[in-house]
Amino acid sequence: MEQQLRTLDAAQTTHLEKSKLRRNGTLGRISAIARNAFREAVRDRVLYNLVLFVLLLTAASVFIGELSGGQERKIIVDLGLSAMLLFGMFISIFVGVGLVYKEIERRTIYAVFSKPVGRGEFLVGKYLGLCFTLLVNVVVMAVGVSLALLYVSRGWDPLIPTIWPAVLLIYLELMLLTAVALLFSSFSSPALSALLTFLIFVAGHFSADLKVLAVSLGSTGARWFFTGLYYLLPNLANYSFITPAAHGRTPAPGFVFASALYAFVYIAVILAAATLIFSRRNFK
Amino acid sequence: MNNERLKSVTLGLIVVVGMASAALLVRWTDTLRPPVDPNAIDEGLYLNDKTVRRMSLGFNGLAADWYWMRSLQYAGKKLFDSTGDISLDDLSGLNMKLLAPLLDTATTLDPEFIEPYEYAAVVLPAIDVQQAIRLTQKGIDANPNAWRLYHHLGYIYWRQGEYEKASETYGRGAQIPGAPAWMEAMKAKLISEGGSRSTAREIYTRMYEQAGEEHVREMAQKQLMRLESLDQQDALRKLFAAYKTRYGKCPDSWRELAQIFRTLRIPMDESGAPLDPSGAPYVLQAGACEVELDPNKTKVPMK
Repeated sequence: MEQQLRTLDAAQTTHLEKSKLRRNGTLGRISAIARNAFREAVRDRVLYNLVLFVLLLTAASVFIGELSGGQERKIIVDLGLSAMLLFGMFISIFVGVGLVYKEIERRTIYAVFSKPVGRGEFLVGKYLGLCFTLLVNVVVMAVGVSLALLYVSRGWDPLIPTIWPAVLLIYLELMLLTAVALLFSSFSSPALSALLTFLIFVAGHFSADLKVLAVSLGSTGARWFFTGLYYLLPNLANYSFITPAAHGRTPAPGFVFASALYAFVYIAVILAAATLIFSRRNFK
Repeated sequence: MNNERLKSVTLGLIVVVGMASAALLVRWTDTLRPPVDPNAIDEGLYLNDKTVRRMSLGFNGLAADWYWMRSLQYAGKKLFDSTGDISLDDLSGLNMKLLAPLLDTATTLDPEFIEPYEYAAVVLPAIDVQQAIRLTQKGIDANPNAWRLYHHLGYIYWRQGEYEKASETYGRGAQIPGAPAWMEAMKAKLISEGGSRSTAREIYTRMYEQAGEEHVREMAQKQLMRLESLDQQDALRKLFAAYKTRYGKCPDSWRELAQIFRTLRIPMDESGAPLDPSGAPYVLQAGACEVELDPNKTKVPMK
């Protein structure tokens, strides 16, 4: 009897969700999936990395003065923002590659697609959910770095406002990386996707070298190849502003705007490609 | 005690006892390990600065901090292991061959990181003056508005006795917006009286005031003490000369001069010996009209 009631309740909920989804349109459906993806990330204890981050910063704030020859403020910023990028990269890669795969593996994807949800909407929703998780992560970490600076300076520190543009650039880089992870996970296994995404992260930071290589090569074919690669791969070096931020320098607003625009265009391209691949995928 | 509870207690005990045993075993293996090769600290760097910069991806600032701290630990360990009183401005006897590559790597990873350049300017001249000049010049090229680096480069040239180059460097630094007025004054002073004690005092005073690094400040303070001590020794020699004129001989003990010291309010110890800037008593060479620092007690550097 109880089982029957539960089934009835679930059917009613599904019906309600369906009508709600229909009512809200594409944006409503994407937002529902994004909220769910965020909740899932929290349930999977993804944000536990913040504990490690806090421990790292606390230890650095207390002990680094002994080792750094008076450079603790610079080191706190370098360490804090680098850890933010590193932890964010791990979340982007390892959670990002599992976003789609887990749904297929658990067969919950059938339940999702039995509702009026498009495959593109599913991917974008999942993507935005993880981006929101990363946003929470990055903001909490940036607040942590600011507090650590307050502690080592025994009061207000002029570096506190200058780290935030660098934090924004780190977040844009993580958004880009998450999109890449999602693209690979739409057609390949999690292990391979993680490896490929990591390689893209490395290659993305070598983009300036690719350009130099393209110019210095004698063969036209090779020159074209490396120039193509330079434009094809995401230029992640644009988002590295940690070192100047540690010296109190902020990027020009025009540079931040251009970098943000590039990130959004690139993400749109990747998500479109991922949707294209994912739409043709047969789950039977 | 039920089965479940017994199991939990046993597992808990295994964890606690196991960790304690592991710690004891580590201590035991430490005693069995062959002694560390004393030359291991000087093992060359595996990667050159440019390769490290490429490999650092977006983490070059953090890598620069690591190389900077490694430089400090390297120099600190050499100083710690050394016997005798060695000051930061004369480390020639310590064979610090890795210091220049470490500082070079730190500054290639983060060219705006000023402290490694300053450290190189102060510490390296006694080890390899050409490397010191190269690194400080590298800092100036990367940070043309950092007037302090011109001050340090001028200091290296001054120590080498190249007063014209030192003056020209101070002159270039003085042109930078925000550079203090004394940079221009140093330019003139180095040309007119480059090797004088007053020039040295001016340089070390400015270095003490501007140093961002505690070791550099300490070194400048010690050098200022040395200069003060040289002035005091000159004053004492004048006193000896006056004493000799009056009594026809040099003083045999400090007590003979104690009344004069009291009148001149010169600080003394209980034996009547005047104190050097570090608070240690000077040593009188009886009958020779000469005074010197007590190498066993003084903290004033001998050179």
